[in-house]
Amino acid sequence: MEVLQYSLRRLVAGIPLLLGVTFISFLLMVYFGPDQTYQLLGKNPTAEQIAEIRAELGYDQPFLVRYADYLREVATLDFGNSNSTGELVTDLLARTIPVSLMLILPGFLLGNLLALLLALLAAHYRSRWPDKGIMAFSVVGMSISYLIVIIAFQVIFSSSSGLGWFPVRGWNVHSLAEYLEYVTVPTLATVFVALGYNTRFYRSVIVEELNRDHVRTARAFGVPPAKLLYRNVLKNCLIPIITRVVFTIPLIVISGALLVETYFGIPGVGKVTFDAITTGDQPVLKAVVGLTAVLFVLAQLVVDVLYRAVDPRVSLS
Amino acid sequence: MSVAATRRQSLWSKAAWKLRRDRFGMLGLAVVLAHFVAAVGVWLGLWATGWGDVAGGKWDSVSSEHWFGTNLIGQDIFQRSIYSISTAFEIGLIVAVLSTLLGAVLGAMAGFFSGRATDEFVVWLMGVLDSIPFYLLVAAIAFALEGNPWSMHVAMISTFWITTARLVRGEVIKLKGLEFVEAAHAIGVPEYTIIFRHILPNTFHILLVQSTITFVAAIKSEVILSFLGLGVKDGMSWGLMISESTFEVLAGFFNNFLAASVLMFGLVMAFSIFSDALQDALDPRQVS
Amino acid sequence: MTTSLKALTNLRWLPAALMACLAACGGGDDAGNSSPGSSAGLKVYRHSMDESPTSLDPVQASNVYANHVLINAYDTLFSYQYLARPYVLKPNLADGWPEISTDTLTYTIRLKRGVRYIDDPCFPDGKGREVTAADVVYSLKRHFDPATRPQGAWLWQGRIVGLDAWKEAGSNYDQEVEGLRALDDHTLQIKLVQPYPQLLDTLAQGYSSVVPREAVEHYGREFGIRPVGSGPFRLVSYDTARIVMDRNPGFRQEPVDLAAEGYDPATQGQYGLERIEGRSPPFIDRLEFQFIADASARWNSFTKGDEAQYTTIPNEQIDRVLTSKHPITLKPEYAEKYFFYAGMEAGFIFQTWNLLDPEFGYNEDPERERRNKALRCAVIKSFDWPARNDSFYGGIGTIFPGIIVPVVPEFDPDLSRVSVTRDVAGARKLLEDNGWNAANLPMFTFGTTANVLNRLMFEQFRAWLKDIGYPPEKVVLKQYATFGDISKAWKQAELPWVVKGWGLDYPDAENTLQLFYGPNSSPGSNDSNWRNPEYDALYEQSSVMLPSPERTEIYRRMNEMVIDACLTATGLARTRIHLWHKDVIALPDREIVGGFFLKYVDVED
Repeated sequence: MEVLQYSLRRLVAGIPLLLGVTFISFLLMVYFGPDQTYQLLGKNPTAEQIAEIRAELGYDQPFLVRYADYLREVATLDFGNSNSTGELVTDLLARTIPVSLMLILPGFLLGNLLALLLALLAAHYRSRWPDKGIMAFSVVGMSISYLIVIIAFQVIFSSSSGLGWFPVRGWNVHSLAEYLEYVTVPTLATVFVALGYNTRFYRSVIVEELNRDHVRTARAFGVPPAKLLYRNVLKNCLIPIITRVVFTIPLIVISGALLVETYFGIPGVGKVTFDAITTGDQPVLKAVVGLTAVLFVLAQLVVDVLYRAVDPRVSLS
Repeated sequence: MSVAATRRQSLWSKAAWKLRRDRFGMLGLAVVLAHFVAAVGVWLGLWATGWGDVAGGKWDSVSSEHWFGTNLIGQDIFQRSIYSISTAFEIGLIVAVLSTLLGAVLGAMAGFFSGRATDEFVVWLMGVLDSIPFYLLVAAIAFALEGNPWSMHVAMISTFWITTARLVRGEVIKLKGLEFVEAAHAIGVPEYTIIFRHILPNTFHILLVQSTITFVAAIKSEVILSFLGLGVKDGMSWGLMISESTFEVLAGFFNNFLAASVLMFGLVMAFSIFSDALQDALDPRQVS
Repeated sequence: MTTSLKALTNLRWLPAALMACLAACGGGDDAGNSSPGSSAGLKVYRHSMDESPTSLDPVQASNVYANHVLINAYDTLFSYQYLARPYVLKPNLADGWPEISTDTLTYTIRLKRGVRYIDDPCFPDGKGREVTAADVVYSLKRHFDPATRPQGAWLWQGRIVGLDAWKEAGSNYDQEVEGLRALDDHTLQIKLVQPYPQLLDTLAQGYSSVVPREAVEHYGREFGIRPVGSGPFRLVSYDTARIVMDRNPGFRQEPVDLAAEGYDPATQGQYGLERIEGRSPPFIDRLEFQFIADASARWNSFTKGDEAQYTTIPNEQIDRVLTSKHPITLKPEYAEKYFFYAGMEAGFIFQTWNLLDPEFGYNEDPERERRNKALRCAVIKSFDWPARNDSFYGGIGTIFPGIIVPVVPEFDPDLSRVSVTRDVAGARKLLEDNGWNAANLPMFTFGTTANVLNRLMFEQFRAWLKDIGYPPEKVVLKQYATFGDISKAWKQAELPWVVKGWGLDYPDAENTLQLFYGPNSSPGSNDSNWRNPEYDALYEQSSVMLPSPERTEIYRRMNEMVIDACLTATGLARTRIHLWHKDVIALPDREIVGGFFLKYVDVED
């Protein structure tokens, strides 16, 4: 009951955030965004036809009317049809979000779990060579551009001039085997890039925890390292880790992995959103931005509740 | 000399001593400085002046005339990659300085007035900007500013200040409770003087480290934004060279790709190592 | 509560959730009912293209990508012969050629009987009904209904009696249009305002796909992703990466007569096309389009073997794949695996001055106009077509003077090539003689969309201008985020120099000559905003003429007028080298409407 009440309060507190996100993105993407009129014109248009299209797209309405319409759409989750294809925006998202999720989750999980392992290793051997090696590796990983990694991995693993083990691109998934075929190279690229950042992050969190007095005391008292690691260190590290993981989720769900999707030709939500920006397909944009905001409010709520579960000292009030 | 100032001085002199002893850190700094000299030369018009000229054939290979060969329309890749160093420094410096300034001011104000309306507003703004996926926000700003050459910078600054502001806010909340601030309050020093004269200087170590991190982030983001067509408008950059190369690498022509990515890798890595060394040296809690 | 949250935090649930999602989402991804891939014994042809269509509603069939899908999902009254080059029209849904009145104003077109739409829930009993002349009337009327956001109205605007008035009166589909009537289920009558020799060509466009009213009304805006037609294939799934179509089992039996399709054994004998003689298309079970924007990824996918079976050779691969460019021959390792066909683009690339520009354009003051014209001519003289061809079109494009493109019969191969020959000395002299120097030359804004190749084109152009004494710092790039944004700048005549490609809608020079017709000025397709009374009169005179030597004569005079006016740097027709796997029996092409060959594709077992 207490949790429920608290959750409701947090949800209400999220309303300003929602309003802020919708307002800023409306202003930037919709009001000042690309004008789709000229994309929808025929080859030899007349001034009259241009006016007709503007009216059809609602560009001739005043700002406040359009913003109010948008808020209504967010509230009812009814964003209408895409201006480009005419597909229902909700259908479009239902089709593309699962693809993005399936594409990114393996890389996301592996990138975090491997990084956690490496970070533990590095923290354990702090300032000795395994630590230095791991940290050097992570700096190298962080210094290579994601774009370069994607280009290089596609050539190496997929092309006929490289190993040619995996499909070059696309997403034709109907079974686990096919899924693994298509997801491997994007996952490798994602993990390669994320590993550097994540390892550094986790290492610094763990090192900070190891330096705390209670851990030092426990160590002095001869608590076995494995137990120490689990009971005193990992558990206390969970808060920053959960925060990082949970707040990444809305971004994955909504913005997908734009670069990977573009380069590997995967019909996920990232590509769809980017196309919507570049063509000014406003119904799609409005939906994506609105949903991201909603998910962020939810993520905040989840993080708060999880804090409490992990660390009873954090009170819900 | 006030207590705070003494505390500051000892921190800085200790840090400088520690930094000088960090061999990797100094090596990183040397590489960064070498890049910087190259950039200054470009600004002064000493070299890479012919980056835009069509001086050779299509995809000429490496020669004494064209050290890294030529590109699709016969421009000298060496000159273009060197010219791009100056672009990288321009972007890095502008974005790092402005977003650190913005983060410092807003973060300090939020921290000092924590719990009050100013703080609520800043925290709300940070939450809002954080909730819009980075590339979407950048793309939206780029489109809203319609081809303005600064749209990329504006977009980066409007997201990169947030981390700095968060850190500064936390530090200021901590500092606010210290005696020297309370003493300043007691003798009636105006609030803004306290923030900018007494508190903010004590967060300089955070600002310095954050600005180096932002510098690196800006250079790396430029590459991806230029690939997406949202990046550098005027001149030449590594991002533009890498996007040129995306359709060349599978044709077996790697010069653009290698020139840009090796130089960029060098600068980014050196800067990151230097930034780490700086962080180590400035972190008072650091136990070696 | 607390315990369940603890269980959540140890993250063990995540892999399980992933697998659950895989099971659920994996099934949802397949919109079709049959199993995928050729492993199941299906004959599949995988086509690759560089972009995906934005909409599959025929009223928005403005690009070649949409046409590829549309004319295979729908029927059009006329179509182009599969193999004839230059392109020749043939009846398709029309039952033979129309009856044309002697004043060439009334066309009576009969439709084939028994042609049915595919089965679809939009029909009362879910069964596809017969295609009727009323459907044709309805489909063309939709272009005159603003609510459909149509893009093809320009084809018929001011041409068909009563159609424009019908739109003025509010686009009520129940109202009859005098010039566009179904006389009975299988007879259509079109009445023209004035002779329109290209009418039958317009009825072969994706724009003229024959759609059933039930589907439009049933699906509303979603009609753009759910084509319901009578063409050889039916849509199975559609996203920005891939379109899958299955054969339409009810497609009418029409055995192929290669001779009637313009088959030429001398030039086309090597492709194995005889094997489709006498059989009724479609021959494949599944047609798959893969949309791969990145040229190198497309090439990788093609050479992989089991992915895309068709591609055009990307510009940057041309030197690696060919042994010779004139004539085009493949290296042995490619010739062994792939067939190729080098097809010239039905269209061209050109760059035009906008005469409304205050600095470079037409000036009322005769003295200033003399100097401006000299400046315009000098810039055109600086243009290095062979270099542009070599850098961006693989060196295999065809450079030609004027605006009558090489694929149309009116093309004159003997025209003087002075206008496409670079003349730096001449350009410098022109500038000097007319008082232009580095100090007083105006700022030159070069507009393009933000893409790296366009940017290189700009840098190349700037280097050419430097050669004639134009300071590089006075030549600046203005990038537009989207094609829509730059179109807007063109339509509002904001840029001095318009860089454009034009694809022919139908194989008639009229389609490019109209680009300089005064009344088509911005926002129309005449980006030069040139208004020359003599030219306009000639255009009006020729536009009602049927093909004839007299018309060709007029066309050529107009062409020379455009060249002499120093209006435009023109032109280059790209050559695309189509490559396809040897187990595919086809002659791929994407010109004119685009994709009409797909109906005839077969794949060896």
